[in-house]
Amino acid sequence: MKRVYPREERCINCHLCEVACIVEHSETKLPSAAYHVEGLRFNREDSRTICDPAEARTAGVPKPLNRTLVQTAGYLSLSTNCRHCEEPDCVLACKNGSLYVAEDGRVLVQEDKCVGCWMCVMACRYGAISRNPARSNVPAVAFNGINHHCDLCPEREVPACVWVCPTNALVFEDRDDQ
Amino acid sequence: MEYYEEPNARVALGLRRPEPGDWYHGYPEYHVERDDDKCIRCLVCVRQCPYDCTFYDPHRHGVYNVHENCVNCRRCEFMCPTSAIRITRWGAGFRDNDNWKQKTIRTVYKQADSGAVSLTGLGNDREYVSYFDRMVIDASQVTNPSIDPLREPMELRAYIGKKPERHTNPPEVYPNLKAELPVLFAPMSFGAIAFNFQRGLAMAAKEVGTYFNTGEGGLHPDLRQYGDHAIVQIASGRFGVSLDYLSNAAACEIKIGQGAKPGIGGHLPGEKVTWDVSRTRMIPEGSDALSPAPQHDIYSIEDLRLLIYGLKEATEYTRPVSVKIAAVHNVAAIASGIVRAGADIVVVDGFRGGTGAAPTVIRDHVGIPVEVALAQVDQRLREEGIRHQASLIAAGGIRSSADVIKGLALGADAFYIGTAAMVAVGCTACQQCHRGRCSWGITTNRPDLAPRLQPEVAAERLTNLLHGWAHEIKEMLGMMGLNSIESLRGNRLKLRGVGMTQVELDTLGIQQAGL
Repeated sequence: MKRVYPREERCINCHLCEVACIVEHSETKLPSAAYHVEGLRFNREDSRTICDPAEARTAGVPKPLNRTLVQTAGYLSLSTNCRHCEEPDCVLACKNGSLYVAEDGRVLVQEDKCVGCWMCVMACRYGAISRNPARSNVPAVAFNGINHHCDLCPEREVPACVWVCPTNALVFEDRDDQ
Repeated sequence: MEYYEEPNARVALGLRRPEPGDWYHGYPEYHVERDDDKCIRCLVCVRQCPYDCTFYDPHRHGVYNVHENCVNCRRCEFMCPTSAIRITRWGAGFRDNDNWKQKTIRTVYKQADSGAVSLTGLGNDREYVSYFDRMVIDASQVTNPSIDPLREPMELRAYIGKKPERHTNPPEVYPNLKAELPVLFAPMSFGAIAFNFQRGLAMAAKEVGTYFNTGEGGLHPDLRQYGDHAIVQIASGRFGVSLDYLSNAAACEIKIGQGAKPGIGGHLPGEKVTWDVSRTRMIPEGSDALSPAPQHDIYSIEDLRLLIYGLKEATEYTRPVSVKIAAVHNVAAIASGIVRAGADIVVVDGFRGGTGAAPTVIRDHVGIPVEVALAQVDQRLREEGIRHQASLIAAGGIRSSADVIKGLALGADAFYIGTAAMVAVGCTACQQCHRGRCSWGITTNRPDLAPRLQPEVAAERLTNLLHGWAHEIKEMLGMMGLNSIESLRGNRLKLRGVGMTQVELDTLGIQQAGL
């Protein structure tokens, strides 16, 4: 299975992978809309969120967040995202079965089932899972947010982060090391 | 002597005050315009700017610039994912004055600020006459047929080194460099340029079948595998020179002078001497690598002969020895002496040649154009009957394949390209090489900036450039009815001058256009 692998000796800490990820997982796939409009509740009375009525369809759409995260330590930096392990710890840790391994090998989440307990975040040895505070299925933990990790851009042949990387520090390839 | 380093950035946040000690940064030269509608605050530009020009203000959730620090390297423009940035000139600048131009005034400010030598990078940027641009090339019409290089063979291979005087059987054979294209990569030392760039040069040289030059900084152990395509330099600092270094290379080059700064040695500031550079140069980490102005064992042609033959002995007469000089007055007589001292290759570096760091005043005012130097050296060596004893390489200011063709017709055997190679891998000619924080990762060893240039990318782009030039050179040769560069070498009848005085035409040894 093809996965996204970082090559830290090539990473220049530009964070364009995060930008591409956000735009790819946005409703409009337009950078300015993804950053400025989506995620803001459409409200004409609110002077802070003036958006064109034509863009009203984005109202209520959760703010897209990056599923890959550039981590830095000194001069080193690398983009970390889900490894899509063959035997994923997160799936074992998930207490209500919302995380699963799909037929094509991707580790996916059923977003309507996730209760935001973060056991997957605890279990992931790569630190590749974050939480999406814009979504919640359990009112009591409304601000905890649900599981949020790389889905390998199902609509694209090559994930957006790999496509955008200016130094090929991310590669999308089949390695047999797992 | 104290060298001037750009002071630290103005404080990004907070009130700006007119610094009495920093008038150079008192007036911005460029303006970074940011389209606020397009800007998504991804902060890519903030992370990419190595000149402390761009910053993020969390209070206003906006990206702002300290325009005084902008050097117009255009990295932020290149990287911005929404094309929100464009760099323009700052306002009107100083009052229009052809005598006191912006650059002149700013240089005076800079020196009054610091009291030191103003350093700069890249090559001479002044408006001198370019003789390359005043020469035009001949083409075949009716009376002699032109050749179609796509359908007929065309010979671009250059043998660089000593040639036999006359044909004998068996022939006398001397060690020669065999370049598939008469274009070699200029001496650029590891330390002045990034390792990735030098590796890219080496990979491209191997791919195309030409040579790269290590400069005076030694040969990195990881580049030993490209030794067949390396010319190693022995400069006044003798950095990294060992028997292994000499015998691992295709040729040895004695550096007497550099076109950008004739008569002075190299300047590698201690900040650029990282662990890797120190290991390659065999000097302590963090120490300034300032090579002496002259080679202290060469005060005459006779001394030069000793070193040339010393190198030949060390390499057991299996490799050509080259001597590189800057183009200065009397270059023809100097070159004649060098050939008589036993050099197999003479490199003449014109005053437009680039540098990693040189005093601005020397870069801009010392030396002569390579075109006239080349013509004079070739003429002199022919007159003295010693032209076959050495090949002639022209360097400094070769920008295109047309320059190569014109230089060949003036008598050069091959060419060095340095700045053209840097531009090919992303250089925007912002002239900040001496500051060691090249935003394109070309002239820096800072570990956060160096990965911006990847060796494979550099090699591919350099290979493309050389292939493109090779096609163009073939086309131009065919157009003149020639099928090999040997037929063009020194064939000045193929050149005509436009807009030159008779003295200039005579110096170049060419005729006025129309004659």
